[in-house]
Amino acid sequence: MTHHQSHLDLIEAEAIHIFREAAAQFRKPVLMYSIGKDSTVLLHLARKAFWPGRLPFPVLHVDTTWKFRDMIAFRDRQARELDLDLIVHTNVDGVARGINPLDFTPSIYTDVMKTQALKQALDRHGVDAAFGGARRDEEASRAKERVFSFRAAGHRWDPRRQRPEMWNLLNGRLGAGETARIFPLSNWTEKDVWRYIARERLDVVPLYFAAERPTLVRDGQLLVVDDDRLKLRPGETIEPRRVRFRTLGCWPLTAAVPSDAADLPSVVAETLAATSSERRGRLIDHDQAGAMERKKQEGYF
Amino acid sequence: MTLHSTARAAAFAEPAPIGAREADLGVALGGLVRVLTCGSVDDGKSTLIGRLLWDCSDLFEDQRAAVEKNGLTAAGGKHLDYSLLVDGLIAEREQGITIDIAWRYFDTAERRFVLIDSPGHEQYTRNMASGASHADVAVMLVDARHGLKAQTRRHAALLDLFGVRNVVLAVNKMDLVDYARVRFADIASEFAKIAAGFSFRTALAIPVSAVAGDNVAGPSLRTPWYRGPSLIEALGAAAGARSRADLAFRMPVQHVARDGQDFRGLAGTVASGTIAVGDGFLDAVSGQAGRVARIATMDGDRDVARAGDAVIIVPDRDLDLSRGAVLSATTAPATASRALEARLVWLSERPFDPSRGYLMRTATDLVPVSRLDITERLDLASLASAPATSCATNDIVAAALSLARAVSLDAFADLGGTGSLLIVDAIDGATVAGGVVVAAHAATGREADDAEVIIDAATLAAGLCRDLGDGPDDAVEFQRRAREVELLLQRAGVRARVSLTG
Repeated sequence: MTHHQSHLDLIEAEAIHIFREAAAQFRKPVLMYSIGKDSTVLLHLARKAFWPGRLPFPVLHVDTTWKFRDMIAFRDRQARELDLDLIVHTNVDGVARGINPLDFTPSIYTDVMKTQALKQALDRHGVDAAFGGARRDEEASRAKERVFSFRAAGHRWDPRRQRPEMWNLLNGRLGAGETARIFPLSNWTEKDVWRYIARERLDVVPLYFAAERPTLVRDGQLLVVDDDRLKLRPGETIEPRRVRFRTLGCWPLTAAVPSDAADLPSVVAETLAATSSERRGRLIDHDQAGAMERKKQEGYF
Repeated sequence: MTLHSTARAAAFAEPAPIGAREADLGVALGGLVRVLTCGSVDDGKSTLIGRLLWDCSDLFEDQRAAVEKNGLTAAGGKHLDYSLLVDGLIAEREQGITIDIAWRYFDTAERRFVLIDSPGHEQYTRNMASGASHADVAVMLVDARHGLKAQTRRHAALLDLFGVRNVVLAVNKMDLVDYARVRFADIASEFAKIAAGFSFRTALAIPVSAVAGDNVAGPSLRTPWYRGPSLIEALGAAAGARSRADLAFRMPVQHVARDGQDFRGLAGTVASGTIAVGDGFLDAVSGQAGRVARIATMDGDRDVARAGDAVIIVPDRDLDLSRGAVLSATTAPATASRALEARLVWLSERPFDPSRGYLMRTATDLVPVSRLDITERLDLASLASAPATSCATNDIVAAALSLARAVSLDAFADLGGTGSLLIVDAIDGATVAGGVVVAAHAATGREADDAEVIIDAATLAAGLCRDLGDGPDDAVEFQRRAREVELLLQRAGVRARVSLTG
């Protein structure tokens, strides 16, 4: 039997290679799981890398308490069905201080409930390497990111300490106090993620498929109201619209798009024909110029 | 919207039935080619890459709109400023990254293109070397008005050293020399002479105009005298050119896969060649040999695995092999080697220091270097080598290495996957150099059987680290001393390893 290697075969094999290299070189890795489509692909590749064994590391979800309910249900079902060692971490101090995405700016909210929460979780579990789903095609500041990306003490990203990478040789030897972030999907594009989900018939959160949902237009963005924590401003009304999400996060910070793509083939078709890039739907990225680059230096993925 | 994305969208108008293969879904592209773009901004590199994206790729509509909104270039006035596509995304923005290669991706209807952009500024050697290590083909850019530069030859030398076998010379700004055939012919023949001095498989010159789009995405009416491929065709042709599946079989073992019961297999990515169920293999270092009973993956067993496939090889008998072993074709095995000649590019800001400890990383092994001698340094101006004993950032040197134990190696010229290496600083873990094996000398005896000395935390706490307390600074110091002991022993040729857990 001869088999033809498509571009998906090649990037799949590369990701499996990266997972195996990292698991062999680091002492206490963890897989960062955000429940979205990229995490779904990441998890599937990890399972392929370590089949027929169980995943040799836990799966970590940083729960801001503002995720869509469908996301949490999906997470718990995946953990059960795939026999995952799931760690859920919330910054309880942030919750106690009442930090939320409705009353605080996206940058403050993200810093406390995501960035600080992530650092707490990594420190608490003594993690020396965290797998993430970041891709180089996502954003200009990521175009130069390494596959093994190193963090100095305090999870600080120091551009001058990033190691050159040559061939497919991955050097995971840590200096004192260093930890690493590992990006097996570095060379994937947004389109590849959907192509792969279609090819592998992966289950994803239903919010990616169009359905009639309670929506609200605020600041020019289409929000789906997931619970009663949002107070309507004068003139605002909640109306049913047929929408779906291209990217998932905290519900008050994630914009939906009008769509009729209600199943996997039509979502893939819509993605391949898309006319704008996905991060448009993420409100935190528009907060300030160069926002992503700064968040990265602070320890956000 | 580009033509092919429309076509693909149309293919999806009817939902594919569940169980359809990816070919029916139309989701996978035929292959992938990695293109290194080298040259400086002055040569029009950003404009050429921008033009390539504009004409050939699946750009988002908002990216196109941004370029159109900006209007015509100030200089010429006749064309859009295609460089905006690159400068806005790949970032000429300085991030202060020591080695900065920017990655960009685009699809044509046939294949994925990965553009690896290596900046052309003066400290380009290490950028180019690391970029070249990832590339199937390189584009060198010259201005038709100025012809080849001294750096063209230097770039060619670096590409050759670090394994790029296909090069394209884009003779740009042909519009500014009135598409003169003679001008192009002169440059092309000079380039052919230079390329003949290296071991390139293909070396092609193409007359282009990035701003006018000539010979970028297709043939140009303004160069009727040019019969060769357009730039995108030439780059695409390199996709199949590096078929490592025809070479000798090698698979570096990444880990031993188990299911908690009877299953035991050797997991890894095939670095070169092809292996089928029933084929024999051997590990050159231990001398153990076996046959392939199964080639297993989560998606089911395969009959054959070839270069690039990530699989699990289940041997037909019990073998004591683990991470670091390299499965080789029985007929053409790798060399078990403790001494090698290598060509290195020095990446670190810190110069080579013979008193510092270094480790050598191969595909899946990490071995202490007991001795590293620099023998020659390459002068990039003259491309001549002269005897040397030191080296610093951006230097390309010849070196002789002795290793604490034998590892499986190949000459890079024969098998790139098992002939490349990194030099790692043993204390802080930094990657200080990348290199290729020029010659691996066969080891005698059974060095791999030397016993390993484990240094544990309790031993260190009772003696060497007795003065340390429980604070965070103490923990860091504890680790530093542990590594130092490990290193000193390793450099003395002892297989020593620190284990601070349990």
